[in-house]
Amino acid sequence: MASVATAQIAPKSGFVIEAVDIAKRFGHVQALSGANLQVRPGEVLALVGDNGAGKSTLTKVICGALAPDGGTLSFSGETTTVTSIRHAQELGVETVYQDLALAPDLSVAENMFLGREPLRRSPFGDWPAVLDRRRMRHAAWEAIKSAGITTLTSVDRSVRELSGGQRQAIAVARAVMWATSAILMDEPTAALGTKQTDIVYESIRSAAARGLGVVVISHDIPKMLSLAHRIAVMRQGRTVSNTPAGDLTLTDVVTLMLGGRAKGEAA
Amino acid sequence: MTDGVAQTALARPPAAPRRLAAAARSTPVGMGVIVLVLIVIFGVLSPNGAFFRVSNLSTITLNVAVTMLLAVGITLVLAAGELDLSIGSNVVLSSVFAAKVLVSLSGTNDQVRAGDYPDLALGIVGGTIAGVLAGTLFGAINGLLITRLRINSFIVTLGTMGIGTGLAYVVSNGVNVPYVPRVLQTSFGIQKLFGVIPYAVIVVLIISGALAYTLRSTRFGLHTLAIGSSREAAERAGIRWSRHVVALFILMGALSGVAAVLDLTRFATTNIGGHQTTALAAIAAVVIGGTSLFGGRATIAGSMVASLIPVVLGTGLVILGVPSFYQLIVVGAILIAAVYVDQRRRERLSA
Repeated sequence: MASVATAQIAPKSGFVIEAVDIAKRFGHVQALSGANLQVRPGEVLALVGDNGAGKSTLTKVICGALAPDGGTLSFSGETTTVTSIRHAQELGVETVYQDLALAPDLSVAENMFLGREPLRRSPFGDWPAVLDRRRMRHAAWEAIKSAGITTLTSVDRSVRELSGGQRQAIAVARAVMWATSAILMDEPTAALGTKQTDIVYESIRSAAARGLGVVVISHDIPKMLSLAHRIAVMRQGRTVSNTPAGDLTLTDVVTLMLGGRAKGEAA
Repeated sequence: MTDGVAQTALARPPAAPRRLAAAARSTPVGMGVIVLVLIVIFGVLSPNGAFFRVSNLSTITLNVAVTMLLAVGITLVLAAGELDLSIGSNVVLSSVFAAKVLVSLSGTNDQVRAGDYPDLALGIVGGTIAGVLAGTLFGAINGLLITRLRINSFIVTLGTMGIGTGLAYVVSNGVNVPYVPRVLQTSFGIQKLFGVIPYAVIVVLIISGALAYTLRSTRFGLHTLAIGSSREAAERAGIRWSRHVVALFILMGALSGVAAVLDLTRFATTNIGGHQTTALAAIAAVVIGGTSLFGGRATIAGSMVASLIPVVLGTGLVILGVPSFYQLIVVGAILIAAVYVDQRRRERLSA
């Protein structure tokens, strides 16, 4: 499990995700223009900004949910056009959505494998291949234990029966289980209490400790200053700053969000 | 994702919930008990235990076969959060096509008029294919309208229900297709294996078993439930909603086609004025059996058992000399009670 020391591990060089000059327009609204984002392996990048600054849109472009109008996306150094969420997943990028994207009637194990279920031979032969439920349950259980979710007693329970915190923790654990290069999280703690929030932050640290790049959208700026390695600030569809968290104060970040200029930023 | 050491240490999830205890509380088992209790009550009360006779019980299964098959199909449609009101009309239209092709391939006009069917085998094969194909096509059109035009399945199938019935009248000129060979009925439709299990019931049981297995154990089944539970979650997991829904309606259509052929062999005639309430009866059975009207939870066993209730009640009341109209009242009440229980359950779980 990750400890506080994780935050001092120097991120390796090279970016797992590099988005350069991304543009996206919705009708008359220019949601993104000149949006940039870089995250290294093992690095936690906090993406902050006022409402409507383009944070969610930028992550949706990166995770394949939205096609950008312009700009380039590179994953581990390779420039790619991401065609779908599935495509981004194949590139090792997992996303935790604001509204969780879990199917409430399915079990925890089924949700963690939805769309990527392991199959085995059926008793009737090669066809039809059937779900390998045993493997799903075991791997889901392992992922949940290693994510530090201790309140869940069974992966067979339906998601409908779980608390909001447990659901969010499972969404995060699912992303950690599948990601091989990076995780994008859109306000993963917005609906949670303090204790549940701590579990999610702990799993963010642990994901970074495993070498994943983690992008977190959050309004909890004081927490981001202590959790993240770098802070990227967006304003009106642009990335206006990308600075090591240690070089910034709360006032700096708020000033950047609202339109001022922080120390250390090139004029 | 699984490094050996950690796996043995950690990867032992708590045992699955006690199957027996869970099963005892499940709807299919509960419904099964109700059906058994009904059978025992009617058996004891009926004169000379007439209700208990094998011939009576086997006729009940024959009477329920078509509704059961359609209920099994509707279970999958409801599991995905969709509805199909057009299945009765599909059965009628498909049986008209099946009968037309069957009669015209079996012999010349003059021959069939005289009750002579020189190419009966060809007619049966052709008619069966035509019936299933017509049903499948009907279902495919439903699926495409729902997914391409993005119109709610309730509305689409309400529309195609009328269109299908109308087409059946147009194609048949408003009268049942004449000269359907009676031998369909005498050598298959009412025949029973070992004199006990009707052939039609065997067909329905085999198809239902295969579909129950599909729902429980395959990716297709899990994705159906996922779509019904949360379409957004399913799509974000890479499941293609429109493709899946079209596949479900094609399957439902094919089952309606099979039902049409079974119906044709049972009565040796088309039934163009019939099946007006078949869709609603099938949907009622599915919901009574424990499938959620909102999608995401479904049980084919429950649908099969619950589809027995109206027929058992109807037959039992007739044998007791009670007007069978009461059957309608009781089934209606059971439906409302079943949905109420389902809603309470969902509220309790979400609380």
